Amino acid sequence: MRPTPLHDLLASRGAVFGERAGAEVVLQYGDPAQEYRAVREAVGLTDMSFLARFSVPEEGLDLLERYAAGAVSSIRFGRVLHTFAADEGGLVESDLYIANDDTRLLVLGESLVDDRIAAAVLDGQGASAAGLVDLAADTAVIGIDGYQAFAVARELFGADVLGLPYLSIETYSLLGEEIRLIRAGKTSEFGYALLVPAGRAADCWLEIERAGAAHGIRPVGAAAHSALRLDGRFFNIHAEGAAVRDPLPLGLQWMIDFEGEDFRGREAILARREAGLRQKIVGVVPADPAAGLEPGDPVLLEGETVAEVICAADSGTLGQRIGLALFDIAWAYSGLTFGARGGGAIRTISMPPFMPRSLTVRLDEQ
Amino acid sequence: METKNEIVAKIEERAEVLRVIKEDLISRLNLPYRPEDLHEDVSLLGSGLGLDSLDALEVILGVEHAFGVKVAEDNIAILRSINTIADHVLAERRGREVAS
Repeated sequence: MRPTPLHDLLASRGAVFGERAGAEVVLQYGDPAQEYRAVREAVGLTDMSFLARFSVPEEGLDLLERYAAGAVSSIRFGRVLHTFAADEGGLVESDLYIANDDTRLLVLGESLVDDRIAAAVLDGQGASAAGLVDLAADTAVIGIDGYQAFAVARELFGADVLGLPYLSIETYSLLGEEIRLIRAGKTSEFGYALLVPAGRAADCWLEIERAGAAHGIRPVGAAAHSALRLDGRFFNIHAEGAAVRDPLPLGLQWMIDFEGEDFRGREAILARREAGLRQKIVGVVPADPAAGLEPGDPVLLEGETVAEVICAADSGTLGQRIGLALFDIAWAYSGLTFGARGGGAIRTISMPPFMPRSLTVRLDEQ
Repeated sequence: METKNEIVAKIEERAEVLRVIKEDLISRLNLPYRPEDLHEDVSLLGSGLGLDSLDALEVILGVEHAFGVKVAEDNIAILRSINTIADHVLAERRGREVAS
């Protein structure tokens, strides 16, 4: 397992560790519900060093065009593309941020396969010739997410950080170290991912804690992030991604450059696109807010199963369970009430189901 | 719980609204997608389709023209996804039916 450079520090914070695709990940620090609330109402600090990360010089652009489904060649300087990599069968394998970072392309990947398998795939596509550099051993990734994350970023990097658009990358200095800051996030609140030197990762974490203390910062683990992604309707490769794999029922067409270069799995995806969608994921909640909802639960229409819940979590904002269900295409619409096992009911809902507080903030007025 | 007939009727009404919204989005914003490529929950602003404020105005114009409903420019809750736009259109229709 690839350890996080922050292991010892996070262990002292009460981290419960697990493994994700061969990398160490913090699952939680205590109560995931409190960690969820920290992001929605204040700031969460997350070790995201489980992400794969590598760089490719701009001359190696072809490699990433063959690897990723999105329009890599169209990423403007300082901007970030959110896309995915698929296997030969066109099934999602990695969720990718690809940043145009001056003379190189920087890739952060959250994957269903471990680094060695991804490296083998990239090697087969000419990674060495393209000049790929694996950054996992030398860097850590720290996420600052939450309603007040912008205030913490401003304290650390100055007011100009507020002008960064969503999905952009910029170079800053933190504790005298040159770091990369990616404005992104998958919580629907403000989000910043910091790529910092592994040897200074603990110092950077402590500095962010110091800057965030007045804003209620607290460490957040993967369990809380799963709930934040689900009720924020951000793609989670480890939840619905792992359960479905096919990007079309998952609604990931927006990540695909259908008219662009050939990429791994493209032919299979195009063939399924031409054949037409047979299933689609839809947001669901139990009609009774106190009722449960678990992966594997059937969604019933007059006794017949028309969908199956594929992932679920507690939504601290809605105050009830929320999930995604994979529906037969004929019934894949929101605003409907179906039956649930045991006589209850399941409602299909439009996503995202609420307005996050971050969308009410005007950064140009801060 | 709804009967199959009630659900089919709701789907027919919603599917028509969704079709119009998707076709208008693709046409007005010159999006490189087919209507069936657009998942109804895909985020319109920021992540997802990544529309900017000018695009959002185009979307509002399209909705108002196609369905005759008003959308306040600062009501970004409505513009979060195709489904949230459809919810607004259908709610406005219900309101008119109740009023008339």
